[in-house]
Amino acid sequence: MDSMDSSVASPDLGLALGFPFWVASRRRFKPDDPFFASGNLERELLAKHVALDLTEDERFQLQRMEIADANLFCPIAGCGARLEYLEEFEDHYNTRHMASCSVCFRVYPTSRLLSIHISEVHDSFFQAKVARGFPMYECLVEGCGAKLKSYKSRQRHLIDKHRFPSNFEFYKKAHPSKHQRQKLQRKAYKGGDAKDQESFMDLDAKKESKQTRPKHYRPQQEVKTGTERESEMEVETKLHHPQTTETKVVTNCEAKNEKAKAETEMEVEERIEDIVSGISKLSTVDASSPSSVSFGHRHSRGFAFVPRSVRNQNQISKREQTRKP
Amino acid sequence: MASEDTSPSHSHHRDSIKSSVGNTAANRRRQQAISIGKERREALIRAKRLCRDSIFDDDNNEKGLDEGEMVIDEEQSVLNARTAQTVQELKSSLSYQGKDATQKTIEALRALRKLLSKSEVPPIEAAIQGGAVPLLVQCLSFGSADEQLLEAAWCVTNIAAGGPEDTKSLLPALPLLIAHLGEKSSGHVAEQCAWALGNVAGEDMELRSILFAQGALLPLTRLMLSNRESTARTAAWALSNLIKGPDPKAANELIRIEAITDTIVKHLKTADEELVTEVAWVVVYLSALSDKAISILVRSDVVPVLVNWLVGSESLQLLIPVLRSLGNLVAADAYITHSVLIVGNNITDQVLYGLIKCLKSEHRVLKKEALWVLSNIAAGTLEHKTLIFSSEAVPLLIDLLSAAPFEIRKEAAYTLGNICVGPTKGSDNKSDIIVTHLVPLVKGGCLPGFVNLVRSADLESARVGLIFLELVMRGYPNGEGPKLVEREDGIDAMERFQFHENQEMRNMANALVDKYFGADYGV
Repeated sequence: MDSMDSSVASPDLGLALGFPFWVASRRRFKPDDPFFASGNLERELLAKHVALDLTEDERFQLQRMEIADANLFCPIAGCGARLEYLEEFEDHYNTRHMASCSVCFRVYPTSRLLSIHISEVHDSFFQAKVARGFPMYECLVEGCGAKLKSYKSRQRHLIDKHRFPSNFEFYKKAHPSKHQRQKLQRKAYKGGDAKDQESFMDLDAKKESKQTRPKHYRPQQEVKTGTERESEMEVETKLHHPQTTETKVVTNCEAKNEKAKAETEMEVEERIEDIVSGISKLSTVDASSPSSVSFGHRHSRGFAFVPRSVRNQNQISKREQTRKP
Repeated sequence: MASEDTSPSHSHHRDSIKSSVGNTAANRRRQQAISIGKERREALIRAKRLCRDSIFDDDNNEKGLDEGEMVIDEEQSVLNARTAQTVQELKSSLSYQGKDATQKTIEALRALRKLLSKSEVPPIEAAIQGGAVPLLVQCLSFGSADEQLLEAAWCVTNIAAGGPEDTKSLLPALPLLIAHLGEKSSGHVAEQCAWALGNVAGEDMELRSILFAQGALLPLTRLMLSNRESTARTAAWALSNLIKGPDPKAANELIRIEAITDTIVKHLKTADEELVTEVAWVVVYLSALSDKAISILVRSDVVPVLVNWLVGSESLQLLIPVLRSLGNLVAADAYITHSVLIVGNNITDQVLYGLIKCLKSEHRVLKKEALWVLSNIAAGTLEHKTLIFSSEAVPLLIDLLSAAPFEIRKEAAYTLGNICVGPTKGSDNKSDIIVTHLVPLVKGGCLPGFVNLVRSADLESARVGLIFLELVMRGYPNGEGPKLVEREDGIDAMERFQFHENQEMRNMANALVDKYFGADYGV
């Protein structure tokens, strides 16, 4: 017989060192476990013959009062906001914990952390002071006030003084953004057929719709400008070499701009290549096209249908327009 | 005090099926329930039952009079004054030595009883403060007339339906109540005393302990064997209150009583649903608290009978304890899944049918607890997982995972996860992933629900969600897991944990993001 788990029983607490992989095991509850509370309540209401007289609303109210006694707080470190009920969390999170960087789109749970991020990553003045030996790296724990000279030493401070886990990284190595990945995917599609090109547009459309989604509290951006893409990559390269930033701070700025320029140039070239290969794939012979066709506005009404080759051309130029900064 | 709100709009708000015309008492109770202040709420959720009508169900004039009599509707202060006065009358009748002493006493008791049973809010405190308890104890003395005992026990019953202080004031009466359960007592007296004891036991563990020590268990159990259905029912209910713990000693003692299992089975097989309900609650607490009881029950006829009810009943009141009994038994002992609910046996199909019926029900409790049972069955053998997987439960599960209230979503998550994970472990010491179940479930759209759980403020839900995502990313064929998870904004959900206050969650989420969405992801 399985031993009785506490009410926070979950798929295997097992491996203390590693990830607690799912283990299919039975879960048992004591009779006074909160799990049974609503069933018990139901029993008493039904027995008093009151249940039938209560509307769904009233009963819900009763249950709410039961659950409301359970203390529910926001689990984001340092927040501690009281949540009246679980469903409220999502709204609370979106309101309070979605401070996002307008430069690199990273999201932080407090405005304080966001501003620390912005100083440390996007502010060359900050880097200049660091290079001159000023302790600029703030401790992340609110109220501590400590300032350290390097990212690494701040890290050590967090681990030693504030018992942060040793693998905690303020600069999390960002997974390549969706945009990056789509670009890489498109590279793979190069030389594909027309169908793939349509799916390109789908990706674009999806990306655009995603950016305007109200869920993420982000400034409205139709399309990333060249400079924005630039800084995104800047951040990434930085992350790969956190050490090097300290030493190469000043010269990095120039190197970065060079690199960014090169990147943008590469991008433009890439785009041109896409278009060229796309056009070359177009079929010039279209079974659906009528034997005689005339172009020009005068005959616009007379068009029975537009040949595929013409249609595609229009669509490609449209795509080009949306991508231009 | 309940206000008299009989505006037409209010009464039309009610379904026409319900309160009949002139049923103002029920209306008043409804009003009481609606204005859910803390005190009222406590009264509603207490495991107590106020006795408002005579337990006589034969054609006693008494009952007819009671029905005709309107509910006592007075200002609380007036009610209290009347109560105090009635208690004084009782006192004087008890000290009266004349030949009609008993009759006088009975009349005084009856007056008090009516105040305590016909008032919307019984003047319990007033009665206690007026000194009713020692007088009632006196009225319960051995050799008293049956009617006196009955009325006194009825008064005690309703005083015991009050709050903690009220109930505790009845300590002096307890041994007498227990004594009058005896087989020499009049049937009605015994039943009324059982009711009173049920209310006392429903208060808290301390009182349950006292009653147990004073020997209430055995006579109550004997009373449960009564031929009178109302007596058996009341005794069963009182018993369930007595053994509900959390101290398991009463439950352990109960299962030791000879032939108790047979009695339980016998009652469960009757057609009287109310009796079945109360006895099922006894089984609930036996199966929750006593390992010995579990061992006996799983090998008995109790399981098949419970399953029959699960399949055949539509009554919420009955289904709750039936479902939970089965749930407790399945959760506690592997014997059930391995030896009773063997895949291929009819009973197994019945159980699944019954559980699915509960999943489709509109009642939150049934859905939640049925999912719990299902999740435990899914933690059984490979055959069990396949059985559930190929049943009509799966689309329901995915739907519940996505759309139901969070506590139900959590249970659905456990079930789905258990279906995908085998009972055996591989060489890497991780449970085998049943890909043939995992893939269709993911394709069936279960991922968004899991990602949503990861976002929950409830730690356990988030944990379950995260652990399932790991399954998908590790076990989905062709390494497609991470991409699928990402498509559902899984990365975003996991990254929230970077600043979660719980270290284990931070570590888990970080480990996953690092492993599956590292620098080389997408290249």
